[in-house]
Amino acid sequence: MLHDIGYQLRVVWACAKKDLRAAMTDRLFTVISLFVPVNVLILMSLFVLAGSYAPTAVVMEEQGSYAQAFYQTMGQANSFRLQKASAAEAEQLITAGQIVAIVTIPADFDAKVQQNQPVQVGVKINNLNTDFTNDIRRAIPLSITSFYAKAFPNLVSVTVQEHDLYVHDTGYIPYLGVSILVIALMMGGLIQSGTASAKEWENQTMKELLLSPASRWAIMLGKMLGAFLLGLGSTIIVMLVLIFIVGVSPDYWGELIGFTLLSLLIFNTVGTLLGTLIKMRQPVIALSMGTALPLFFLSGAFAPISFNTPALQVIAKIFPVYYQIVVFQHAFHGFALNTYSLGTNTLILAGYALVLILLVTVALQRATVSH
Amino acid sequence: MIRNFLRATWLILRKDIQVWLRQPANIAATIVPPLVLLFVQALGAQAVGRSPVALVVEDTGTQGAQIAQAIRNANVFRLSEVDAAQAQAQLKNLDVVAIVTIPADFSANLQAHQPAPVDVTVNNLNLDLTNDIRRAVPDAITQYYQAQGDASPIKVTMNESNLRKRDIELFQYAVLPTIVLLLIISGLISGGLATAREWESATIKELLLSPAPGSAVIAGKVLAGFVTSFLLGVLVLIVTALLGWIYPEGIYWLSTLLIVALVALMGSSLGVAIGAAFRRIQPVIGLSIMLAFYLFFLSGGISVLAFEPAWLQSIAAFVPLTYGNHALQMAVFYNSADLLGRDVLVLALFSLLTLFLGSQAIRRQSRY
Repeated sequence: MLHDIGYQLRVVWACAKKDLRAAMTDRLFTVISLFVPVNVLILMSLFVLAGSYAPTAVVMEEQGSYAQAFYQTMGQANSFRLQKASAAEAEQLITAGQIVAIVTIPADFDAKVQQNQPVQVGVKINNLNTDFTNDIRRAIPLSITSFYAKAFPNLVSVTVQEHDLYVHDTGYIPYLGVSILVIALMMGGLIQSGTASAKEWENQTMKELLLSPASRWAIMLGKMLGAFLLGLGSTIIVMLVLIFIVGVSPDYWGELIGFTLLSLLIFNTVGTLLGTLIKMRQPVIALSMGTALPLFFLSGAFAPISFNTPALQVIAKIFPVYYQIVVFQHAFHGFALNTYSLGTNTLILAGYALVLILLVTVALQRATVSH
Repeated sequence: MIRNFLRATWLILRKDIQVWLRQPANIAATIVPPLVLLFVQALGAQAVGRSPVALVVEDTGTQGAQIAQAIRNANVFRLSEVDAAQAQAQLKNLDVVAIVTIPADFSANLQAHQPAPVDVTVNNLNLDLTNDIRRAVPDAITQYYQAQGDASPIKVTMNESNLRKRDIELFQYAVLPTIVLLLIISGLISGGLATAREWESATIKELLLSPAPGSAVIAGKVLAGFVTSFLLGVLVLIVTALLGWIYPEGIYWLSTLLIVALVALMGSSLGVAIGAAFRRIQPVIGLSIMLAFYLFFLSGGISVLAFEPAWLQSIAAFVPLTYGNHALQMAVFYNSADLLGRDVLVLALFSLLTLFLGSQAIRRQSRY
């Protein structure tokens, strides 16, 4: 019995070692796959840079105190990246696509405000898409109301009294960076294990492995262990970048380490399953990378999934990525993004891991017959 | 001479397309993810920019009813009108991002010319979400005042003019970069694999020893990648047009197809260059997809280039896909040929450059 266990463990280690050595012979691909998660983190973060503030030119035809106060209020609206410009410069900038809005404060602004007369602030918008454009359309009224509330508190008495659930606001980069991390880990894990598995079929070396006295599960575990160790390398790189360069530190280190290992296991299993079923590297790599963007948009990367449409909520909950984003957001920020407890989310993920391992085993058994 | 060249090109083109057709898994892996991305974005479109919010109206006075109506009419929330306890439960269960409460003394305070705050409890998970609420509630308050007409104390209003004649929904806006991503990935992978495979299976030796001119080998491989990518691009274009997500009209179908063709050609030429340079399937696939991702994201991909910082816009100016995206947007959404000449020129020049690089790579590698 002990001898048998020792033999199987030797098989597991031998398969893992063989895959690690094979990775070293294809250094270029190994380097690419090690840096895939970091690249994904960098590239997807560009989305965040665009989502925060609208680059806007303000044409100050009036220099009076009310006009200046209105300009300052716009600056405090958490919506604009402001620059003052002449009318001609502003037109040039918006035509060149360097700004998305021109706000013109008219020459009679102060006089009209003082006399309580109607006055219009000109707003020219590069209405590229409604999501970004509506932010501007709403931020200007916000600025107008805030300006009045400060300048004429007795006239504009309806104000907003805000109560926040959390003591500190969390920036968009720290929040989305965590969701991106999960997607990056997914890509890295799928590619490592998927290619290692598909390569055996493509080169027909799987036949030799399956004909050997080694058990199927030991071969599978060995291959997954090899991919897991390689995946750890890319995980450490992306974590270091997120924590020390982007500056997003986890609240709970223990959770972070635990969920990272569990996620790697899940992604490696999915990759092994894909490789076993598809048996070709090209579609495996294309799928591993191609599914990243749809899952990113699907799985509640931007906010709790319950804020999204019911159809997306249902679909998102099919995939483990949704639960992984939930637990990673807790590990980094202490957020609860669904109504399940942390333990329940972890159990669901563990369940995914178990089911996937079973599926890989079944796929390997069936593939043996048909090969 | 020319006949020999054309015949060799045609044979290589036909052979590579036949190989491509024999790999349905590859075709599916290339085309399915972009289509799923579009589907997901379309499904989520209703939620974009309209956060779920609970409205609690505790005031029974006229002004309370008016501000509540303004909030309903503002069209900036997905509202559920509930009592305070239900609202708290919804906030706790993450069904809503905020609770907007019109307090019981709201009308009385207004009539007494006292400050009349609207209470907003917000789940400030991240600034994007929180700022949406911070903008939307004052927007509704402004609409409340505007509804008072001349009696409104707020005399400053917004005179909006739009640069473009129609608004485009976020998911519609994402269609074109996604098609461009599909074209570039397909071109890179088809061209790259068709070339790398010849080395990995050592068939390049036979090709180079044959009487076919080297230029015909390159042309055949580039054209095969071009044809397959172009067909996939046109297929997605037609599907999205039938769904009503994009609407090119008349002559602008031609400029749309021209840009799709140029991007496909560029991707295919670049793929052949990478395939010849690296000669092994696995690194070629990895590099091609990573390169496609870089080109896609740096050209504005999932965001809007005009909203990005100046340094990022400067980088985008050197990314050829930026011009492909621009030309497609103009043709498809605005029926415009604005800067089409520039966009076509950049894409054509880049295609020529990659074609040259591909031929150089094949010539250099064939010496060994």
